[in-house]
Amino acid sequence: MLSMVAAHIPLAQPLCISQESRCVMNEAHEITRILFEDFSNWSIYLFYVIGYTAIGIFLYGVYVQIRKYRRGKPDASWGEFFARFVDMFKTMATHRTLKRRDKSAGRAHALIFFGFVLLFIGTATITLEYDILEPLFGITFWYGDFYLWFSLILDLAGVGLIAGLIYMMYRRKWLKLPKLDYARPDREPGDPDYDRSGYRREDWAFLWALILIGFTGFLLEAARLVWLSETATVWDYRWWSPIGALMAHMMMGLGMGAEAAGNFRLGLWWFHGVLALAFIALIPYTKVKHIFTASGSLMFRDPMAGKRLPSVPEDQEDIGIKTITDLTWKQLLNLDACTKCGRCHEACPANAVGAPLSPRDVILSLREFANKSLQSKELPEKAELDVHGKDVGQVFMETLWSCRTCLACVEICPVAVEHVPIIVQMRRKLVDEGNMEPILQKTMQSIHKNGNSMNESKRKRPRWTKELPFTIKDARKEPVDVMWFVGDYASFDPRNQVVTRSFARLMKQAGVDFGLLYEAEMNAGNDVRRVGEEGLYEFLANANISTLEKCDFNSIVTTDPHSFNTIRNEYPDFGGEFEIQHYTTLLKQLFEQGKLKLSKKLDYRVTFHDPCHLGRYNKGYDAPRELIKLLGCELIEMDRNRDNSFCCGAGGGRIWIPDPVGIEKPSENRMREAAEIEELDVFIVSCPKDLTMFEDALKTAGYEGKFVVKELIELVNECVEFDEAEVIDADVVSA
Amino acid sequence: MKILVAVKEVAALDEDFEIRDDELDVDEDFLLYDLNEWDDFSLEEAMVIKESSDTEVEVVVVSVGPERVDDILRKCLAKGADRAIRVWDDAMEGSDSVTIGRILSAVVEKEKPDMVFAGVQSSDDAAGSTGISLAASLNWPHAAVVAGLEYQPGSNKAKITRELEGGLSQIVEIDCPSVLTIQLGINTPRYASLRGIKQAAAKPVDEISLADLGLSDSDVGVDAALSRVRRMYIPEKGMASMIEGTPAEQAAKLAEIIREFKGE
Repeated sequence: MLSMVAAHIPLAQPLCISQESRCVMNEAHEITRILFEDFSNWSIYLFYVIGYTAIGIFLYGVYVQIRKYRRGKPDASWGEFFARFVDMFKTMATHRTLKRRDKSAGRAHALIFFGFVLLFIGTATITLEYDILEPLFGITFWYGDFYLWFSLILDLAGVGLIAGLIYMMYRRKWLKLPKLDYARPDREPGDPDYDRSGYRREDWAFLWALILIGFTGFLLEAARLVWLSETATVWDYRWWSPIGALMAHMMMGLGMGAEAAGNFRLGLWWFHGVLALAFIALIPYTKVKHIFTASGSLMFRDPMAGKRLPSVPEDQEDIGIKTITDLTWKQLLNLDACTKCGRCHEACPANAVGAPLSPRDVILSLREFANKSLQSKELPEKAELDVHGKDVGQVFMETLWSCRTCLACVEICPVAVEHVPIIVQMRRKLVDEGNMEPILQKTMQSIHKNGNSMNESKRKRPRWTKELPFTIKDARKEPVDVMWFVGDYASFDPRNQVVTRSFARLMKQAGVDFGLLYEAEMNAGNDVRRVGEEGLYEFLANANISTLEKCDFNSIVTTDPHSFNTIRNEYPDFGGEFEIQHYTTLLKQLFEQGKLKLSKKLDYRVTFHDPCHLGRYNKGYDAPRELIKLLGCELIEMDRNRDNSFCCGAGGGRIWIPDPVGIEKPSENRMREAAEIEELDVFIVSCPKDLTMFEDALKTAGYEGKFVVKELIELVNECVEFDEAEVIDADVVSA
Repeated sequence: MKILVAVKEVAALDEDFEIRDDELDVDEDFLLYDLNEWDDFSLEEAMVIKESSDTEVEVVVVSVGPERVDDILRKCLAKGADRAIRVWDDAMEGSDSVTIGRILSAVVEKEKPDMVFAGVQSSDDAAGSTGISLAASLNWPHAAVVAGLEYQPGSNKAKITRELEGGLSQIVEIDCPSVLTIQLGINTPRYASLRGIKQAAAKPVDEISLADLGLSDSDVGVDAALSRVRRMYIPEKGMASMIEGTPAEQAAKLAEIIREFKGE
């Protein structure tokens, strides 16, 4: 950016190069553009003053921003600098993240971005010759063929830039995209921060400023051509600047003469130059700064964001985010990277059902808060830095509790904003202060007391095994190959117990040497951690790790994606390094190894719901689909599938808090989506919580009898060839 | 300004519990202990007063019981209580609510609080009399089943709302200091996070003995109690039966049962 300015300001003397001094050169040298042609010295000096002022304003703004980030807490993301840079570069070069779920916007952005980059490289090239190589070494190259190709490429870049901007304007004005509506679901109309119209004005100012700079650039080019239409080395090569030439002919057609064009060019030159300089000066103060902040955010992306929440050092007394300075510098940078593209707003299940949460608004609220309190010279009093509360700019408690930590926002953010860790860390503070719904308090207390979320006695955990015709090994007492971590819902919930027993039979049939922890298993803690009850999570993780470490096994399997995630991704932080897989991959292997065989195939028309913790969290998209195909089912995908899967609403502890009555639940929203598939037989899930949520939603949304909700295990169970025939019918699904 | 909150560790039954051989209580192996639910609310009420007051308010929790009671006191400390006191002597075993009220009154004499809160009742014994007998021992004003409270720290009057039967409420002005027994729902109790409880483990719980309170063995325990448990048991179930037959037969049978109950 800086050298875009520099291109117009020769940093080294001589400032004024007259045409005569170049007359002796051959024609190739004369095919070029003379900078500051016919400018008086004082006007060049004036331009210098404006230019350096712009740079000064820019630098001061950058300083204020950096000072703001430095007021955050430290973050360990500086490691692997080179790999991070390459990763960021690839993301930017391919525009991969920007094209997702909005191809047109991604392409338009690519036009603007690459147009901008080419124009930047172009001006940098002029600077290189004019201010460095020529004055220092007498080397020149910006003439002749090189100049002509240069002119052509930059003309095309300018066309790209303007085309991209026009599409963005069209999109804002006429497409009426809900994701570009900045009105907030967590505020009421009339609240001072409800509609965020300031952002809308800024968006338009940005688009208009950039398009004006581009357009006046072309106009300037055209005016120069008309002005110098008598100069052969300019006029004869005009078609190398096709847009400029076209416009020049139009101007001449309208009767503009060389002299008029010269005057017009002079006025326009100042307009274009000052506008461009103002644009640059304002970068750190406006949304334009995303050029830097988004790159930085992408560079410091944490691939484990949300999947592995940050641990709290034992000696650290404070927990969670209370004040704006409790955010790390990287999180503060994240806030500034947001361009309000609305992808998270659109993907969020809480927002979709009208809960008072939009991940975008949490980020923007915190950003506005940071800009207000951390940009001043002196840091305000601590009390003024509290981000929790009901005031303008603060984040509501209801907003934080609405989050289901499904990671839809983190996953789709094109600039690597990590919303969920921020939300959970803010919840940690609420929990620390005791602000928690009474019903959730009871669950947390039950988990602490009984090790499970169902308020059941520890002794009841293995009771589901009693109805099995065989005994499962007690892995605490004898070595096993596979340790089965069952999880709360699969152990205690009567409907899920049916599935759990089916899975036991499948493993037995396949000859897997497996065992359980019986009463010693505790809630794995995944959702407790996402509630923000970090102390209880530490207790659960440590208890399970110490139990598991006393046992002799090779790997863990679980039917519960939530347990799967925390054991796989978070237990290592507590010293628990275990190999773990979700049942879908184990079953797939057992079929591949021939240990399970099909006795029949199914002709169901089915759809599959990706559980957040298996899909988005752990990229387990394929194994369940391969199993479904293996069974012979016809799989019809819902619109929102794989990484865009729509949360059932149970995550982040929300399964323990009843959703408000009267508004649609996320699970019902999902049922509505599934019901659009014609002649759907089965809605397949692969998570115990999903089974509970969706069987309920099937009824409340009014689709009972139209299709059924089943665990994938149940379908596998229907098809597998069992040695003991009577076992198959022993457990008929009654739900 | 000081508020004393009397709390109790209550026992909940585990499933498949057994009655002790002497038939006086449930076998301790089957009991799960926790803070009495009502006390969550009375502590919260004290905390709300503390937090909204301009003057310094000290919230002290007190409980009568053996060492395991420290767990619930730590929970109270985690929720923000300033100090915790546990009164115990083996001689106190078998005390009834009147005796406990006497012990607590000795604590009040020592601590000299401006207000005393207790729960309406405990969820295990459900006698609903400890707070009131404490007020009687002290000869202080008292109000039971308080569902709303307006009180300025240091003021000599408090305005309370009491819950009456039949959906009625009663607003009462009471002289302070007084003993209030607090009803569920008066506020929303806060959560004691596990980290908070862990950190509270570092805070001391003052242990007070009989001698510290100027009481003797004969003032407490089963012999001083005015009531004694004679037997605890699970009542027979199966009192309901299904009346079979045609509607006419059912009606006849029903009439017969009614006549039998009327003693005809």
